[in-house]
Amino acid sequence: MSLQEFWDYLVLGVMLGSLYAVIAIGYTLVYGVLQLINFAHSEVFMLGAYGSLIVLQLLDPGDSPSALASIGFVAMAMAGSALFGGVTAYGLEKVAYRPLRRRGAPRLIFLITAIGASFFLYNLAGKLFGRDPLTLPDMYENRDVFSVFGAGVNITQMLQFLTAVVMMVGLDLVVNRTKLGKGIRAVAQDAEVASLMGVDIDRVISRTFVIGGVLGGVAGFLFANLNQVSYTMGFIPGITAFAAAVVGGIGNIRGAMAGGVLIGVVETMTVPLLGDEWRSVSAMVVLILVLMFRPMGILGKQVGRAA
Amino acid sequence: MLNKSIVRLAVPLVVGALALTGCGDSGADGDTIKIAFQGPLSGDNVALGENEQNGVKLAIDQANAKGDLGFKLEYVASDDQGLPDKATAAAQKVIDDESVVAVVGPAFSGATNTASPLYAEAGLVTVSPSATNPTLTDPKNNFTSLLRGVPNDSMQGAGMATYYAKKLKAKKVYLIDDKTDYGAGLAGVAEKGLKAAGIEVVRKSVPQKTPDYSATAKDVVNSKADALIYAGYYQDAAPFAKKLKEAGYKGAAISGDGTNDGKFIELAGAASEGWFLTCPCTDATVEAGTKQFAADYQKAFNRAPGTYSAESYDITNMIIEQIKAAKGKVDREGLRDALKKATYKGLTKTFSFDENGEFKGTDVYLYQVKDGKIAYQGNINQLAG
Repeated sequence: MSLQEFWDYLVLGVMLGSLYAVIAIGYTLVYGVLQLINFAHSEVFMLGAYGSLIVLQLLDPGDSPSALASIGFVAMAMAGSALFGGVTAYGLEKVAYRPLRRRGAPRLIFLITAIGASFFLYNLAGKLFGRDPLTLPDMYENRDVFSVFGAGVNITQMLQFLTAVVMMVGLDLVVNRTKLGKGIRAVAQDAEVASLMGVDIDRVISRTFVIGGVLGGVAGFLFANLNQVSYTMGFIPGITAFAAAVVGGIGNIRGAMAGGVLIGVVETMTVPLLGDEWRSVSAMVVLILVLMFRPMGILGKQVGRAA
Repeated sequence: MLNKSIVRLAVPLVVGALALTGCGDSGADGDTIKIAFQGPLSGDNVALGENEQNGVKLAIDQANAKGDLGFKLEYVASDDQGLPDKATAAAQKVIDDESVVAVVGPAFSGATNTASPLYAEAGLVTVSPSATNPTLTDPKNNFTSLLRGVPNDSMQGAGMATYYAKKLKAKKVYLIDDKTDYGAGLAGVAEKGLKAAGIEVVRKSVPQKTPDYSATAKDVVNSKADALIYAGYYQDAAPFAKKLKEAGYKGAAISGDGTNDGKFIELAGAASEGWFLTCPCTDATVEAGTKQFAADYQKAFNRAPGTYSAESYDITNMIIEQIKAAKGKVDREGLRDALKKATYKGLTKTFSFDENGEFKGTDVYLYQVKDGKIAYQGNINQLAG
């Protein structure tokens, strides 16, 4: 691999990794407050992609929208995906997890419910939207806008990366600077004590789900730009992002970001070195290595008790 | 007390059992003969399955409408999603329905591979309009009920290789398979042909459902290949085509019958422009022999026939002809043996099979995406010159 090729793949890897990071945050947030691996998060992601598709089909960008209109379409599509993702995650918490929490169900039941909810949602999506893959209409003419180390970056990639960064920075600020963030951290650390201190646990958990859902939904839209929209699209990115969350240290938001980017870069670098069929293998090898030498993940530490 | 409750329990049970036997009786109607289709009727490559299903349905409906059969034909759908692991259940469903005497399909090579031992055991003949993996008709498999109604991928892969070598004078070809039975088989044959013609080949495998094709597209550009072969289905070919265009790939690209569907253009948009597509199938809307069929199809399903629609129609008619010859008194084994020996002149081509069930015939056709449509070019070997 020449040096230029190395930069090419590195840039692609960071772009892809930033998307994995945004999805991984959804897993990590929920794990932080509930100690639950929300396997239905991949469906939140998938439904987010459908949300943007529905919005774009309603608006119909036509063949060559103007630059200003393009920005509008992208913003609307993103809003659609955020709405779908947020509502799905909220609904999931309300219907699938809250009743279990009220009854003090054991951890395992939550996990089974999560998998069941995932099956239900993707089959429902297949029923509602059809089982054929669909593609987002072109919102702009995709061309290279600038280059990093000689690697060209086009509009889709720029959008993908910038959105991911903005969302991650925003989330970091919310968690570390706002009252809601304080609540999330408190519930994650010790839910029982937090509730004694006057934190409304139900509200914090529900909002955490919505935040994760919004991020997941928008990631779904960005991913649909990269590939296409289908009811089964959630599974592979979902599992990969879950691995990224664990690599980074599950429950740790910055860890999820780091893990996502790491997995994205490793996957992309694998393509020229070993070939596409080794992508998932090398991602999982990273996961195994991290778990062997640092079981809590790169940035992970002992997490608090469950709510 | 005890007796009473037993009676209470027994009454609904007896009634239920009677109702069930009643159902069984009414189901066995001696004058109805069923023809099944097995292929993807849901899932990722559903368009390819529906194209074929509609061909089968049209043939059955037309035969019934003529009113000279003396029996009634019925269509049975069996969905395997095009997946090997769903094919066993799909085949078993058809086999368990005793009034099914023949199956059109399975549509995909992987599914055919899994389902064929079951069909062989049941003696139920399957005629596939589209499973093109060359190894399926290997006598070692003992797929005694499988007939192939289409030239296999040896022809398609060889056609691609010939076209690149002779017509486009390619120097280096980037060859991708999607790790399915179909893709790997097709790529294997193409690789042999290209190497025999002295062309440098870069062979890669890119599994189906790869979430991001950007890196692969970059790899194609970096390899400096001047031509590309994608051996796989449209669902993955489409995002890959998009990423290739973004990566600035300028060379030729060719794919096989798994991509030869309008859905490919719908999904890939402008990125599909210029792609070559091969198929052992003719374009039903262009060829003179299938014009009437194309019109009937359009009327029945409100869309133009797609890849293998006409071939499925032909195969169904071939099966119906044999049932008619037996005056509707057919059993599975008898029909299987009759079809093995049959020669049928369909709208698209003449169907006949060698002792392994392999199709006798070698014609492969070339298409190219032009102005957002799949344009029929003609016989690939004649075009290559």
